[in-house]
Amino acid sequence: MVSKTVMCPNCKNQITIEVTPGNKTIITCPSCGAKGQFTFPMGNTVVRTTGGSETIQVKNLTKKYNDLKAVNDVSFNIREGEIFGFLGPNGAGKTTTIKAILGLIHTDTGQIKINGIDIKKDEKQAKKHVGYLPEKIAFYDNLTALQNMYFYAEMKNVPKTECKPLIIEMGLEDVVNKKVGKFSKGMQQRLGMAQALLGNPPILILDEPSGGLDPRGVALIRNKIREMKNKGSTVFVSSHILSEVQEVCDRVGIISKGILVAKDTVGNLRDRLNLKPKLVMELEKVTDDIINSVKKLDGVEKVDVLGVMIHVTCNPRAKSKIILAVEEAGGNILNIQTMEPSLEEVFMKFTEG
Amino acid sequence: MDLNSIYFIAKKEIMDNVRNLWIIVITIIFAILTIAMSALGSIFSDEWQGLGMTVALMMGIVQLLVPIIALMLGYAAIVREIENGSMSTLISLPVKRMEIILGKFLGLSGVLSFTILVGFGLAGIVIGIMVPDVNYVEYLVFIGATILIGIVYLTVALFFSTLFKKRSTALGGAIFLWFFFNMILPIILRGIAFAGAAFQDIMSGNAPGWYYSIQLINPMTVYSMLVTLSIGSYGSAMSAAPQLQYPEFYTSGLMILILFIWIIGFLSLSYWRFYKKDI
Repeated sequence: MVSKTVMCPNCKNQITIEVTPGNKTIITCPSCGAKGQFTFPMGNTVVRTTGGSETIQVKNLTKKYNDLKAVNDVSFNIREGEIFGFLGPNGAGKTTTIKAILGLIHTDTGQIKINGIDIKKDEKQAKKHVGYLPEKIAFYDNLTALQNMYFYAEMKNVPKTECKPLIIEMGLEDVVNKKVGKFSKGMQQRLGMAQALLGNPPILILDEPSGGLDPRGVALIRNKIREMKNKGSTVFVSSHILSEVQEVCDRVGIISKGILVAKDTVGNLRDRLNLKPKLVMELEKVTDDIINSVKKLDGVEKVDVLGVMIHVTCNPRAKSKIILAVEEAGGNILNIQTMEPSLEEVFMKFTEG
Repeated sequence: MDLNSIYFIAKKEIMDNVRNLWIIVITIIFAILTIAMSALGSIFSDEWQGLGMTVALMMGIVQLLVPIIALMLGYAAIVREIENGSMSTLISLPVKRMEIILGKFLGLSGVLSFTILVGFGLAGIVIGIMVPDVNYVEYLVFIGATILIGIVYLTVALFFSTLFKKRSTALGGAIFLWFFFNMILPIILRGIAFAGAAFQDIMSGNAPGWYYSIQLINPMTVYSMLVTLSIGSYGSAMSAAPQLQYPEFYTSGLMILILFIWIIGFLSLSYWRFYKKDI
């Protein structure tokens, strides 16, 4: 392992990462959220998150509904200051796990600790530092947005002066004094996020935060997640829409049919599944010569031809050699593009079968 | 237990319910009827002692409407929040389920008491104008007893709101409860009584002790007894039936105790059911 300080090209923030010489790693800048790739010469790279103490600990959690195990022996730890993505298809057990963490449901087996406090032994203390956005959000319909927020502020022992600015931040300035009963799903979701953010909680648990939101709302929530991380909060976010999580998460856990099938950084999951990036080239004309010379190269795994497009699945370092080989074989490259393997692929691999 | 949390939940419950159209409508109906009955009753009486008719008429309104108001307030208190989802947020806050139940109970009791006070207060003004020498202490006892029976029905409704998964089923349950307390239970108790004791004995006040005990199963009877024992018999003004003699163990204290047992019993049951629930 080698320590290396890198600078974010976007905001000039410097971060120290620990790397194993070798392959490429994706780094998320903690202050501006920009993503970048970093390859330490000669080998593998691993980014260690800034983890210290565990904020949420789930140990051997099992929850049965009738005879069906909604969650089956799930264990994971979430480190302080990280954004943890909790992924899985609908009905995989994401919400059940979250509800167990917050003491909304009674579990069959397992232990859950928030900041080291057992939720079953001292639920009040354990829940004190958590902001939660439920999957199915609802408020008190006869009360206004502000009145609803006042109630949550009182319960959380947070100054009421925080309420109005938060409602406005979430883009609801026009309806601060309107009854929530008339709100659309998206507006309720925004108010729900404002409620979760009350008191700047060190732990934020968001269950499908972009449900019912328009793209602007999704972006707003994503920015909020990053902002909270920069303030030092730990964020636990569940989703079945993978692309959005891929962008913000330091680590992900994948749950399928109640079983946690994987937990790691997105990069490592990719590596473990041996998912390689693809080099996509549009040529004037595709000949057997070109294909054969590309296939011969080191680090090339697979070559697919689709009309005048060739898709080369390869080791990232082979890219330039491939381009050279194509030109040497007489190919005329019109367009070129790299496709990174998406979390979608990772996800499909883990949840299939 | 944190009194602040209980207070905040109670306050929220009151704010949420006073904006509920149905509660406003039924409060107005209740107030109009009590005014009408007090006006009607006091025409026939020239002093407070002769207010038997007024009290009897007002008790008729109470027996019909107070259970309806209480059931309406309480039947969905828990199930509504679970069904729509706001309960998830509520439980995620630093609060215990005990505090949620107590907060709801106190808040809803507050709304119910307010409704009863408005109705009785307006009726009290009418009586005050029409009858010279009113005993306001007795009138306050009457109001207190009415609030107490209202809270009994409220806790029963609160318990029902923890029983069902859906609000619509809970509404069915509430309607059943109303029928049960107003129709079925009295019929059952009367049936048992008449099966076991001679009619003449009952009418002449010689019925065996168990007959009187079994009557106290119906909280509405307990309430009537409490009013009768505290402010004198009102029934005599209503009918030609002879003044009934009650056994010695019939005291206001016992009646109040029974109503409190109902409240504490169903409040505990509500907590137990709510505590066990997966949200």
